[in-house]
Amino acid sequence: KMKSSLMHLVPPVSRDRIISHFPKWYTPEACLQFKDHFHAQVRSACQQRNTGTVGLKISKVVVVGDLYVGKTSLINRFCKDSFDRDYKATIGVDFEIERFEIAGVPYNLQIWDTAGQEKFKCIASAYYRGAEVIITVFDLADIQTLDHTKQWLEDALRENEPGSSFIFLVGTKKDLVSGAACERTELDAIRFANEMQAEYWSVSAKTGENVKEFFSRVAALAFEQSMLKELEKSYGRMAQIGAGNLIRIEGNSLETPESNAQANCC
Amino acid sequence: PQELPLEAEDHQHQEEGEEKEEPGPENAFEKSPFHLTAEDVYDMSYVVGRELLTIRSEPSRTAQLQFKIVRILEMLEALVNESNLTVEELKMERDNLKKEVEGLRKECPAGKAEQLSLGPDKMIIDLTDPNRPRFTLQELRDVLQERNQLKAQLLIAQEELQCCKSGLISQKEDQAGPVQKESTVCNPSGSSKTNEEKTIIKRLFFFKSGK
Repeated sequence: KMKSSLMHLVPPVSRDRIISHFPKWYTPEACLQFKDHFHAQVRSACQQRNTGTVGLKISKVVVVGDLYVGKTSLINRFCKDSFDRDYKATIGVDFEIERFEIAGVPYNLQIWDTAGQEKFKCIASAYYRGAEVIITVFDLADIQTLDHTKQWLEDALRENEPGSSFIFLVGTKKDLVSGAACERTELDAIRFANEMQAEYWSVSAKTGENVKEFFSRVAALAFEQSMLKELEKSYGRMAQIGAGNLIRIEGNSLETPESNAQANCC
Repeated sequence: PQELPLEAEDHQHQEEGEEKEEPGPENAFEKSPFHLTAEDVYDMSYVVGRELLTIRSEPSRTAQLQFKIVRILEMLEALVNESNLTVEELKMERDNLKKEVEGLRKECPAGKAEQLSLGPDKMIIDLTDPNRPRFTLQELRDVLQERNQLKAQLLIAQEELQCCKSGLISQKEDQAGPVQKESTVCNPSGSSKTNEEKTIIKRLFFFKSGK
């Protein structure tokens, strides 16, 4: 298990990782929710800094899909703002941690990049567990990779509680297909997304088109979900014990951050 | 020319004397040319000679015809013998090649012979290939795990470095510096420690609240 102590210095979140308004969907034809603002409960909890144990929340994201569809490129564009033309197969798994500030609350995404090669499946699948977000990726220029997304999703869902993960379907290499071809493929992809109960996005890691928007959307949805879960938990505890000041006690725990400083990887 | 009929008569006698199951000389004409033997050719020669006996009215012409036919039969005999020889030669060559293949198989290293008996899920590894597979899945898992841990540590270190570079520490040091100096000079070490702890917690709280 990987433990990261938070007893270290953390620089301020960069400006383009600050999310104050709920990011919009890519297409209304296949989106997880239409709201354009945070859940009222979450908003007030954030405003009151009443985030308790959620204070330094990390959500796990796994990215799956065929080899050479551009999973690593997508992540590298977002996390490092770089693009490498040369293909280098991912060995097993890799990860990045991206820090956000959402509705005034620090929030981290732990993004797991998995190998698309069949031979690494047995290693990568061990990292599917506990994913708050599953991103299934395909290549807009290779329709076969879209067909395979269902299998990738099935494999990832097998390791997770039903209904516990947000699912995204992402078509990459948008720069390689013409507008008309893209629209045609998107129709298929949207149909797939609806069957998978996923939100659909078309992106290009090469040009960066929609990449930041996409991950902001992922972060906001995952953040809100985990906040709601935490709040539900603490309300549950409150009702059980009947102690209204419990949340305030948790709020005080902010001053001893080591207590909730576990990054739950693996 | 007179001998032939006699010969033929002998033949007939022989035949009558032997068991009926032996096919008559006429049978040679019905055989496929590719199955002909020299014996068949002699049978045909006998039959033709017997036919010729029936046209004795013009003896001079018959003799001529007889010689020609005998010549043709001789040629045919030669051809059949020749082809039989060729078949023999080819058979011998085939047997030689068989022996050669067997010899080569025995000479080959044991590995190659085993390959033929390998199951469908088996793989042959060339031990001289520097790029051959040689690590186990568990070893790769362990290495990846270790890499992940190191990367997590690197990310933390990078963030701390960024803090240092962005002057957040010097800013803090500006405040804490004189206190520390004071503490080293005047104050007992205990009090300066609590001071330091407070600032760390303050700082963490500061970052956590996202400013």
